[in-house]
Amino acid sequence: MFKCCLHSQLQFRSETSLESDHLMGSREPIVLIFLILISTYESSAKGGIAEELNEEFTEGLLLRPLPDRKVLAHFHFQSSVPPTRIYGRHHHLFPKSIYQLVNKFRVREMELSFTQGRWNYERWGGYDPISSSSAKPPGVELWADFDVPLDQVDDSWRNLTHALSGLFCASINFLEHSTSYSAPQWSFHSFAGKLRYGTLPREAVCTENLTPWLKLLPCRDKAGLSALMDRPSIYKGYYHSQRLHLTSDDFGTAKSNAGTMLEQTLTVVLQPNTLGARAMVSGKTLQPSWSLNSLFGRKVHGKCSVSKSSNVYVQFEQNLVSELKEVRKKSEAPESGILIHDDFGNNTIFEMSASPDRVVKEVENLQKEDSSILLEFLVEDYNDSKPFDLGLRWKLPVVWSCQQAPLHASRFLMGSGNERGAIAISLKSLSSNNTPTVGCCEKGSQLRINIFQVVPWYVKVYYHTLKVFIDGELQSTMENIEKIHISPSEDKVSPGVMEMILRLPCGVITAALTLEFDKGFLHIDEYPPDANQGFDIPSAVVSFTDFQASASFEDNLLNKLPILNELQERKHVISYTEVLLVPLTTPDFSMPYNVITITCTVFALYFGSLLNVLRRRVGEEERRLKSKAAKKKGPLTSLLSKLSAKLKGRPVEPPETPSTSPSLINNKLVLKVILVAGIAAGWQYYFR
Amino acid sequence: MIYPPPLNLVQFSFLAISEQYLSILTQTPIRLINYRFRYRSPPPFREIDDLSTAIESSPILFPCHFRAVFVNFDPNSYTADQLSISVQAHMAKFAAKNSPACGTCASNVTVSVTLDSNSNCISNGNNVDWKCGALNEFKFAEKHEDGLLDEDFASLLDNNSGAKVYTVVAVKTEQEEVRAVVGKYRHAWIMGRIFEEEAIEKIAEIFVNVFMNGGKEEGLIHGEFMPLGADGRIVLSFNLLNADPHNWIYDWDFQEIDENLLSPVIDALKPLADVSVESQVLYHTPKSSFSFWDDRLDSYIFSTKDLPFFVNSNEWHLDTSVAAGGLSKILQFVVYVPSAKECPLQLQLPNGEISTTNGFISPMWGGIVVWNPSACLTDSKIKHPLRYKISSEDSRKLFEVFMGQLRQLFGLKSDGLFVGASGTSILLASERGFSEWELDVLSRQHSCFNLLQCGTTLGSLSRLVQSLPRMIIMDDIGKQVKYSLEAARLTLSNALLGIYDASAESSRQARLLAEDAFYHPSMMSVSYYSFEHCFAVYSPFFLPVSLHVLLAVLREWKRYKQESKKYYAWKAK
Repeated sequence: MFKCCLHSQLQFRSETSLESDHLMGSREPIVLIFLILISTYESSAKGGIAEELNEEFTEGLLLRPLPDRKVLAHFHFQSSVPPTRIYGRHHHLFPKSIYQLVNKFRVREMELSFTQGRWNYERWGGYDPISSSSAKPPGVELWADFDVPLDQVDDSWRNLTHALSGLFCASINFLEHSTSYSAPQWSFHSFAGKLRYGTLPREAVCTENLTPWLKLLPCRDKAGLSALMDRPSIYKGYYHSQRLHLTSDDFGTAKSNAGTMLEQTLTVVLQPNTLGARAMVSGKTLQPSWSLNSLFGRKVHGKCSVSKSSNVYVQFEQNLVSELKEVRKKSEAPESGILIHDDFGNNTIFEMSASPDRVVKEVENLQKEDSSILLEFLVEDYNDSKPFDLGLRWKLPVVWSCQQAPLHASRFLMGSGNERGAIAISLKSLSSNNTPTVGCCEKGSQLRINIFQVVPWYVKVYYHTLKVFIDGELQSTMENIEKIHISPSEDKVSPGVMEMILRLPCGVITAALTLEFDKGFLHIDEYPPDANQGFDIPSAVVSFTDFQASASFEDNLLNKLPILNELQERKHVISYTEVLLVPLTTPDFSMPYNVITITCTVFALYFGSLLNVLRRRVGEEERRLKSKAAKKKGPLTSLLSKLSAKLKGRPVEPPETPSTSPSLINNKLVLKVILVAGIAAGWQYYFR
Repeated sequence: MIYPPPLNLVQFSFLAISEQYLSILTQTPIRLINYRFRYRSPPPFREIDDLSTAIESSPILFPCHFRAVFVNFDPNSYTADQLSISVQAHMAKFAAKNSPACGTCASNVTVSVTLDSNSNCISNGNNVDWKCGALNEFKFAEKHEDGLLDEDFASLLDNNSGAKVYTVVAVKTEQEEVRAVVGKYRHAWIMGRIFEEEAIEKIAEIFVNVFMNGGKEEGLIHGEFMPLGADGRIVLSFNLLNADPHNWIYDWDFQEIDENLLSPVIDALKPLADVSVESQVLYHTPKSSFSFWDDRLDSYIFSTKDLPFFVNSNEWHLDTSVAAGGLSKILQFVVYVPSAKECPLQLQLPNGEISTTNGFISPMWGGIVVWNPSACLTDSKIKHPLRYKISSEDSRKLFEVFMGQLRQLFGLKSDGLFVGASGTSILLASERGFSEWELDVLSRQHSCFNLLQCGTTLGSLSRLVQSLPRMIIMDDIGKQVKYSLEAARLTLSNALLGIYDASAESSRQARLLAEDAFYHPSMMSVSYYSFEHCFAVYSPFFLPVSLHVLLAVLREWKRYKQESKKYYAWKAK
């Protein structure tokens, strides 16, 4: 609407100037330039509307205060290109590398995410579109759907992982082994057989992954909203997830004009800088105030010049909106004005540094009283001399909680020791009165939960031991599972995959699944570096198929904006569980060398003594000793000779006793033989 | 004899244990090695050495066929044989100036001469199919259009035999000015008032320096640095860089350029290389060095000495292509649109002049053209940058510069003139970018260079394998080496027969296979078990043992000296 206004205004202005031109005759060239400018701007805008088939790039940023004094920033960039058969293969906005990738490997849909940290479902919400689409498991997650014959899917996947690992400077190529990826049948996304899914939970995510990701944007981080991405501020956040989602119908037989679409999002959860002590108002702590500059250390200097739209949104969630109303009622006189029509720039509860260009309200659905509000700010109007720095300052303390997923999913390990254990997935109702579980129960239907879990082959899961506990009591598995698909792991070939739809009664408070497993052994070559750290079991995906995480907004014009499209996309509520760390028995990797060393030492000792014995001339030595004894020596020299004899390891034979009885030696000999025999017997006894 | 019996017993028990350990000790590493690689198949070292010596000792030379046609010359002054001999003598003189480069013609060139005058028509040599008197139909004086003449000659000289014969037609006319033109096909003509000796020298020069060597001069790119990938593929990557999109944004219709201008060039290069084209437009790509304002030239000047710092590899994400394989060559062609702060930007030659093309090349990398927008001097304080499209006329001009740059990257001349000792000749430019005789030169050089490369690769492979006797070589590598050698031999025989295309093709095959063998993944992971490593592992054994042995030797030596002293003393008694 605003845009329309702008257009009409511009048109009006151009008309007036035209009239004035006619009236005044010749004008200054500046006016002419201005005129040309406006007309070209107009024509380009009109051309954009008339000619649908063009490349487009849009950028957007959504900011949302979180209940635990943090701020969520969700960057959204979208590039799209019409299909090749209409538009050709030369582009001016769409990244060349991605286009080539799609065409070479015939990718129909693909999603790649790099995540650091874990999304806190309890505090940051688990029901809204952002947590369902942008909360990702730690490390790398990649899934891709190919448009190739079934027998070539694996090859395409392997090539794709290599290409992506080169493109994003990450070890995605580790996903090429058949042990590290799986082919979900129906639970993950509904593609038949041509989808591959793999995760690398331990991949460290850093700037070297962000820079190639930014390279795919036409303005990179030089201009527009991406200029906010100051690396230190982004990476010091609590959660960081960069995502790349790609859809293409270039290969489909359907003559749709959707073409290829690349969606890039970066979701960060940041802690605003609260200088000094927390501000207190009437005994409660205030939410921290923040601005773009304090969050990112930078400001926005205008939009990326090739982007079609460049907007910043601040979202107040539904619960926050109702809380704001409450606070308002309490603090002020019963001035029961609806918040929407209030001044958002400055009211009694909070203050914003810029007034929004538009306020968008979510369409109320069903019994919800309040709905979330989006404040829209257009970046186009700002430039170098007047940078955009949005700030939010709280005046009154507000406490609220985010909307939760129907059940909170978590996963943990049970058992101890290096031999066996059990995996448990627990689903817990957070028992707050505003969970949508209530709605489900009213219908009297059951809660259906889709669980998808991949387990590496060295964790040998016994699927027959699957147990379902509901509210702490063991239940029959058959009754509570609607559908299940298991492909057991094969040693060194494929991981175990479990997909199931769990059916739970409505008022359920806790539900748990347990699966027992044995820990396998790996070949010495298969251990990764630092094997003692343990092995990761990738996150399980829990999706609530009865619930749609989508918001619909009142304004139809908004459908043009991709960032809001993303929010409105109808998707199941999805949450990821924790990554599990399984310690496996690890061998002592230095053992072969130790064995070699000790054996060598023993051999060297044996060799040395053998050599000494062989070399010794007993008769000669005795003769020499005798001749020495014949000579009369002083006490000092005899002592010296004794010492030297001892040092040389020869038996000290006092010259005074030239001959000893052989029987005595025989006694010693017998003793020693017995000793050796005893040791040998003991050896045999203990080591048999 | 005090201790021996118990010692013996201990010895036996030790022996019993050590027997087991010994087996472990000796067998583990061997087993480890054998576990991974089954056997070692040595590449044919001798054949590789033969090939590399054959290639290195004498450069590959192709047989070439030349034909000179003298029209309207006096038939009585020279006979055809005399002319042929003197042309060959002159050619030898020109060829002697520079050593026979790889991929040129062998010394045993054949020159056939035809004398065509009004009355009679004499020729030597056997396969001369010159239509005598055919030129009389042309009115040379009326036809000044070189392109039309070229087509006429082409139809005249069209031979269906397939053999590649280079022809120079010398026509004696009444025109004062002598004009030498090299056509787009395999012929050239000289026209004007010219005498036999002069004509002979000129013909010989065109044969040697143009048709044989491609009109190259010193300082141009050497044939060895031809921008061709080992797999014979080139990716031409065209980039339009908008240095600062806040000022203006330029776009181009590359689809049109690709279809209309590039595709004939790609077709022309097909026998030489498999060319693919891609394009992209990038934004926020400033160059890395600064220019300065020159009042006299009324523009920003970037001097030649700063050119190495023009390419800004930090900001120019020209990107290697995903579509190109690992062995393909990527040539980047960049159109640089300067920002308003430094517009118009001109490149300055070392002699102070402004470059006419406003571009430069970097061998084996590609070319850059600075393109100044016409709206340079308008007000830059525009809130919303304007989007423009480079007009088709401008893009045609840009493309022409790029074609010249591509020709230069291939080592060919881009200015269309050949300045020789006997005067200047005009080189007609083909609309396909490369004329036929140039492609011949390129494919000769290409096959020669490929063969050289193949020889050195195989040579280093064999040296590597020989220097590491314990390294295990997979069977595939041996096979690849064998096939590579076969292809190399085929190239040599094709070169002898003078089939340029086929020899280029097989030489490419030979090089590709050699490179594949060298960069085989199993070679890359150097998983061989070196002797030194073996020694290091067993050093806990060898060190104490050697200590014992040394001590024993010392003692024995001492005793020997003592005893011998005693013996001598006793003997002396």
